[in-house]
Amino acid sequence: MIRVAAVGDIHLGPDSRGTLRPSFETLPDCADLLLLAGDLTRHGTPEEAEVVAAEIKDLGVPVVAVLGNHDHHDDHPDEVTAILREAGAHVLEGESVVLTCGDTKVGVAGTKGFGGGFVGRCAGEFGEPVMKEFVAYSRRRADGLREALQELAGQDCDVRVALTHFSPVPDTLAGEPLEIYPFLGSYLLAEAIDTAGADLAVHGHAHAGTEHGMTTGGVKVRNVAQPVIGRAFHVYHLRPQEGAGSAAGAASASFPAG
Amino acid sequence: MSAHDAPAEPLDYRVARLGETLAGGPLGELGVRLEVRGGAVLVEGTVPSARCRDDVCGLVRGELADVPVHCDILVADASAPDHAEEVS
Repeated sequence: MIRVAAVGDIHLGPDSRGTLRPSFETLPDCADLLLLAGDLTRHGTPEEAEVVAAEIKDLGVPVVAVLGNHDHHDDHPDEVTAILREAGAHVLEGESVVLTCGDTKVGVAGTKGFGGGFVGRCAGEFGEPVMKEFVAYSRRRADGLREALQELAGQDCDVRVALTHFSPVPDTLAGEPLEIYPFLGSYLLAEAIDTAGADLAVHGHAHAGTEHGMTTGGVKVRNVAQPVIGRAFHVYHLRPQEGAGSAAGAASASFPAG
Repeated sequence: MSAHDAPAEPLDYRVARLGETLAGGPLGELGVRLEVRGGAVLVEGTVPSARCRDDVCGLVRGELADVPVHCDILVADASAPDHAEEVS
């Protein structure tokens, strides 16, 4: 069994320094790794990133993160990423990491993702350049996630997790105004997850949403935005499926590509 | 009101602009929802700290000084969970 702790949207700033650290220090007792699903800062400033770094440094469990839209607001995402990496976090954007926890290999693939909406109610790559770029940007993020998950499929992972900030499904947005769904996620992320396969998808971003959802392909989705889970983090126990650890087993939840 | 007095700006436009200020201004707060309820404004959501809650409520009350404002903002719970979910 692998114990995955996760939280997103912690929105730390100088006035919230030390808020999460006491709870995070309990992680070695209850989890094998911590996933951070973006919006770790309020404005994406290096000063705020340093606050996050102090919360997560030397926790005793590996930390894997993606950035969120707030972490881009100050236009210094590379600096934010570097500060988090300096604190020991694996920060993913179209990338993956394999962690060995006991005798279990866990693969995490991550991207911030982006919006665009969901099947039948989504933006198209059509019209003005800014509209085409909006959708193309979302597609590039989803492509990065798919490639990162496919990379993990060849690495004998017992469990694969997709980590995003934006939501792959509308299920976990329930509670948000319908009108803003296209700004909260994209079906392209779910398509990438279902194509490449995963055992769990974790995201944040939708503060007024709900925790539980599922992709069309049957991958469980959890919205771990802190306002949704109402705790410093939630913990999910995953049991490797029979035959997992091979590419065929790990891909059991996937759709055929194309 | 004389014929030359500007009409009062509709409340919904003022609230929309205030929402932009909350998001794009120093607070960077996208997680708070402002809703016009009758002649009042309801402010709800979850923020990371008590100071953030007070800043948001203070800003809204200051900008909408002539309107009843009901603040129902929660501060995120930073406690550790007491159970895990078995995902099977």
